[in-house]
Amino acid sequence: MAGKDAMYLGDDITAALATDSSPPSTKLSPADWAKKNLFSSGVNSLLTIVVGLAALALLWFGLNWVISADFEIIRANLRIFMIGQFPKEELWRPWTSAYVLILGAGLTTGALARNSHELDLSQEIESHKEGWGSMLRRFWPVLLVSIFFVSFARTLLPFIGLAGAFALIVVAREIGWRMPAAIRERAIFIGVALFIVSMLVIAGTSRLGGYALGLVAFLWMMSELSRVDSLPKGFAGTLIRSGIALVVAAMVAIIQNLIPHDGFGWENWGGLHISLFTAVVGISLGMPFGILLALGRKSDLPVLKTASVIFIEFVRGVPLISLLLFSNLMLPLFLPIDFERPADLTLAIIVITGFSAAYIAEIVRGGLQAVPKGQTEAAQASGMSAASVQRLIVLPQALRAVIPAMVGQFIALFKDTSLLSIIGILEFLRVSDTSNSQQAFVGKGLASVTYLFVAIGYWAFAYTMSKESRRLEAKLGVGHR
Amino acid sequence: MIQFLLLLLGLAAIGTAIYVVGRLIYDIVAMFRDRASSDEGDTAVLWRDVKAIGIVAQLVALFAIIGAGTYLWGNFRARTDAIGLKLTFDFLDQPAGITIADNPLIAGDSVSSAIVAGFFNTIRVIMVGIPAALLLGTLVGIARFSSNWIVRKLATGYVEFFRNIPPLVVIVFVWSAVFLNGFPTAQEAWKPLGEWFILSNNRFAIPSIMGQDNFGAFRWILLGALLLAGAVGYWRTKVFDNTGAPHRRVLWAFATFLGIGLIAYLVLGGPVSMSKPMLDDRGRVFSDGFRIQMPFAALTVALVIYTGTHIAEIVRGSIMAVHKGQEEAANALALSTFQRYRFVVLPQAMRVAFPPLISQFLNFSKNSSLAIAIGATETTNIINNLFGQSQPAPQLILILALLYLALSLLLSTIGNLINRKLQIVGR
Repeated sequence: MAGKDAMYLGDDITAALATDSSPPSTKLSPADWAKKNLFSSGVNSLLTIVVGLAALALLWFGLNWVISADFEIIRANLRIFMIGQFPKEELWRPWTSAYVLILGAGLTTGALARNSHELDLSQEIESHKEGWGSMLRRFWPVLLVSIFFVSFARTLLPFIGLAGAFALIVVAREIGWRMPAAIRERAIFIGVALFIVSMLVIAGTSRLGGYALGLVAFLWMMSELSRVDSLPKGFAGTLIRSGIALVVAAMVAIIQNLIPHDGFGWENWGGLHISLFTAVVGISLGMPFGILLALGRKSDLPVLKTASVIFIEFVRGVPLISLLLFSNLMLPLFLPIDFERPADLTLAIIVITGFSAAYIAEIVRGGLQAVPKGQTEAAQASGMSAASVQRLIVLPQALRAVIPAMVGQFIALFKDTSLLSIIGILEFLRVSDTSNSQQAFVGKGLASVTYLFVAIGYWAFAYTMSKESRRLEAKLGVGHR
Repeated sequence: MIQFLLLLLGLAAIGTAIYVVGRLIYDIVAMFRDRASSDEGDTAVLWRDVKAIGIVAQLVALFAIIGAGTYLWGNFRARTDAIGLKLTFDFLDQPAGITIADNPLIAGDSVSSAIVAGFFNTIRVIMVGIPAALLLGTLVGIARFSSNWIVRKLATGYVEFFRNIPPLVVIVFVWSAVFLNGFPTAQEAWKPLGEWFILSNNRFAIPSIMGQDNFGAFRWILLGALLLAGAVGYWRTKVFDNTGAPHRRVLWAFATFLGIGLIAYLVLGGPVSMSKPMLDDRGRVFSDGFRIQMPFAALTVALVIYTGTHIAEIVRGSIMAVHKGQEEAANALALSTFQRYRFVVLPQAMRVAFPPLISQFLNFSKNSSLAIAIGATETTNIINNLFGQSQPAPQLILILALLYLALSLLLSTIGNLINRKLQIVGR
């Protein structure tokens, strides 16, 4: 308001009311913005200049370093960084596997988003389908870094592959969103089954793959049969249901084994693929054990409680590297004497499962404590058995509250897979060591280049997930009750 | 020390076993006593009694654990016998066959002394690193509330970048990019002040002090002076609390310590002298002076950078947990930004921040084991080297776990004691 003389008190209000009822703009001119945010006081101005110059120097130094660095080592080793020592003629396997995985991820997330959307609508909560712009804001680090990775490729194929993957995730998500409700309800099973299939594309059919698929089939059948009302209730019903589900699971496993398809077991895997795989397997296998340990720790039965507490506190009290040394040097000694030594990764996954179980147990314990005591009491008052109280009343609430912390644990585990490099497994970080000992690059001091590349790779995934975790926290309203 | 820890572990195991079995027997007896003493109509049938179900479940669990343990132990014994591995701890007194840089240990010294030397290196890293990480994290956490845009954004960028890469990657990057390749080699070491300041990618060295005659007595006098200085500081605080006179406790304490130290130095006839770092013919520092090996410096710096981000997040969250009215009241009293944080915000934020900070300190101590990747000779690395000297792996891994457990226990005990001091005393 510049013209002070001609105006009277209230004039500007009247004028504002007459023309525009929106609040005055809070946008500052660049000069005002700089004054407010950079030069508000003498100390601040000094701080701006000193810190700004330091940041510019760092940026200048970093840019210089990046421009002068020799990225040939990454170009030559890009495939090893991504999937390890995989034979070139078998590259269709990881690509197909990635596509199956992306298809599953797209379908499942699309369906789950639609489910939550429908739930919100049914409760008269305002809800919109999430636009692609918003998705881009959520996942830009992974997208950007995958483009960055592919930019080191020497052939055109990875570019086409990545473009195809982007297209597939868009299409799969849309299909997932549009699927009928009956299929959408089973989205999680579809996603998990496709995840295992995607691994089997690389690994070939195997007994372990049969177990994994059989387990999914069993759980899926149990969930299907629990909707069938004609089956008897109670213990007999459970027995019949598990019997049918077991038969189906066994059939799935057998059919899986009958399909003649050989591949490369995980002792031949490597690179970023194995880092992600180990983290996913570690957290998924650790989850059931972690929940059991948390319940054990909370129970008032001394044997179960003591065993849980000892396990949890021991695992949490020692560094992961000592557990990995244990897996490498001691775990094989506990196998029967006529057993062959399993692959290093198998041993490591056993230990990592126990490791994440201990940490998940503490997270779940926090969730259990957050469930009000009245919930348990009300359930008991309505005559539920102890197991049903936990399974149907306490655990669903506790687990829902700890989803963000669980994502945090997944990030931590993903970062911790870098320790596998110390026991000689060719995961993402170790590739930078092996590529620096190749004849063409040895002794050239390129370790920092490869380490930076690896750091960016880890950062993209971990940062995206930590943003997701914060989003989930806000969405679930954890900590606001 | 290691033998002592092993003894403690054995005692704890026996104690736990006695407790568990005792509780179980007590529960069984109590259940039957209750059932016998209560009326016929009040007791449930045995297989529907919650207590009985619990006891049976525990017996099953106990036998499952014992059974699995026996089976695995049998396999273990069969395998160790087959490779001729002795499961005793005699090897602890055998010569280790390794040397540790900048440590008087010789190859003929025992395995246990080598492990203890490594453990003290771990403790050194922790004692330097945790305060440094706390300082960095607190500053960055506060910087995220700065009214200065550049400071705010830089702090956010630092936290979001380093928090999301593995600590091991930070360590190897800092080591190879900054320390190994960024600093001159030992032959071309940077010596701006001659032998008073030597920096290379091998070692950092400055002169230090060396004991002469009467050094033992001097050391004890200094320790006494330190305690006296503390007492004087405490007395000044009391004076301030009672009368409101300026306490100047730091000044008083320093004056006490330096005065006594100076008098003792003169009376004892120069018990200490300067020791300059000694260089060998290839220009490497090898003895005397105060020396830091570069792998340790890299490890500490990297862990401080990594842990600093986590501490910054905790500090930020706890500052947000301080009621906004506190900040406004401080502003209304015209406190400066420093005063506002020092006297109003941080003391309250620290109460919220301390419990999660303890777990970050524990993470710091556990992450120090990653030194194995860059060759800093701390506990894990020493034990890894001992595997190479064909010392028995099972016992060494047990000792490794035990040392870190003891360290975790120690740190969390100290942390919890401080935490109790910080909390508001309730009525």
